[in-house]
Amino acid sequence: MSARAWTGWAVATLAVAVAVHIASVWYTPHAIMDIVFSRMGAANVMHHQKRPDEHTRGIVRPSPDLLYSACRFDLSNGALEVKAPVPPGTYWSTSAFDADTNNFFAINDRTVGGQPLELIILPPGQNNEPPHIAGRLVIHAPTTRGLVLIRTLVNSNADFTNIDAVRRQATCGTWGAGRADANKGG
Amino acid sequence: MKTALKVLAVLVLGTLLGLAATWFTVFRGSPQGAVHDGPWSTNLTVGSSGTDIYTRAAVAVHGLLALNRGETIYYAAHEDSDGNKFDGRCTYLIAGRDPPARWWAITAYAMDDYLIPNPAHRYSVSKNSVTRNAAGEFVATISPKHFDRNWIPVANAPFLLTLRLYNPAASVAADPAHVALPTIKKVSCS
Repeated sequence: MSARAWTGWAVATLAVAVAVHIASVWYTPHAIMDIVFSRMGAANVMHHQKRPDEHTRGIVRPSPDLLYSACRFDLSNGALEVKAPVPPGTYWSTSAFDADTNNFFAINDRTVGGQPLELIILPPGQNNEPPHIAGRLVIHAPTTRGLVLIRTLVNSNADFTNIDAVRRQATCGTWGAGRADANKGG
Repeated sequence: MKTALKVLAVLVLGTLLGLAATWFTVFRGSPQGAVHDGPWSTNLTVGSSGTDIYTRAAVAVHGLLALNRGETIYYAAHEDSDGNKFDGRCTYLIAGRDPPARWWAITAYAMDDYLIPNPAHRYSVSKNSVTRNAAGEFVATISPKHFDRNWIPVANAPFLLTLRLYNPAASVAADPAHVALPTIKKVSCS
């Protein structure tokens, strides 16, 4: 085979390598989020995980000082409603991630303004926003699937029981279909 | 026929090379745009969207579901202040003052990115659990041997540290390379 033919095959191999490399890097977050979703149980339900320890697997580098409550969401059937009381006297935050692991929303105990969190997450492209209610937040998800994650800091072991009880009151679920329909075109 | 075999070889070899490059850049590497401050390094693009595909992939692998910089800034350390990789058979002292944040914690992880099994079930020292001297300075001990106070247990294996700053001072995001973070010194090895 001539040198020119060899060069041609080498360039073709390199082109395939570059294409596969870029595609796999680009797809990695999506693939990892799929794994997270598959381990998280039912969608549109708040799962209150126990305090992380050496047996905790699934999400890398869990914080042993935080309590995690997670809601994997799927907005195929409409918007998601998240309700969460804010435990007093400690760091607390709620954040939302899209299907490519991008963080598209975050609020904490200071910015929530001294009241329980009421959050509606609309599917991408949905324009029939629910009626404005004071204190209720309405946001759009960039993707149909995603994850809401609530972090609650255990200030001290003495506070654990109380903090744990409060954060376990957080709920998430499909926002009432009847109400959503009633709002269409309005 | 011969050409078909060559095309197949190109596809197989190209795919393997491409995946190998992904393995080394994303799964084995650290996110691009790292900022160093002593033994600590951070990447402020963590938790934000619209960053480059390499950073996004590395964050998904190493810092999945991390918060954005306003909420939390994460520093990691893989080596001590003298530049030597952490060895779980050794004892290290972490010395300093409270970093400028509402809350902070230093946690040890095994190289699989999970918490290190230990009989005391301790994994971190934090703003609330650390003991300070009268001047407000603390010294924490990383060691496989038991210490009563300010102890972060490790196993006889390589490990890494994560420093979390929750609601960090604005100065941290503005200049993450010059934050007064604790030093990490090796004192002995068994």
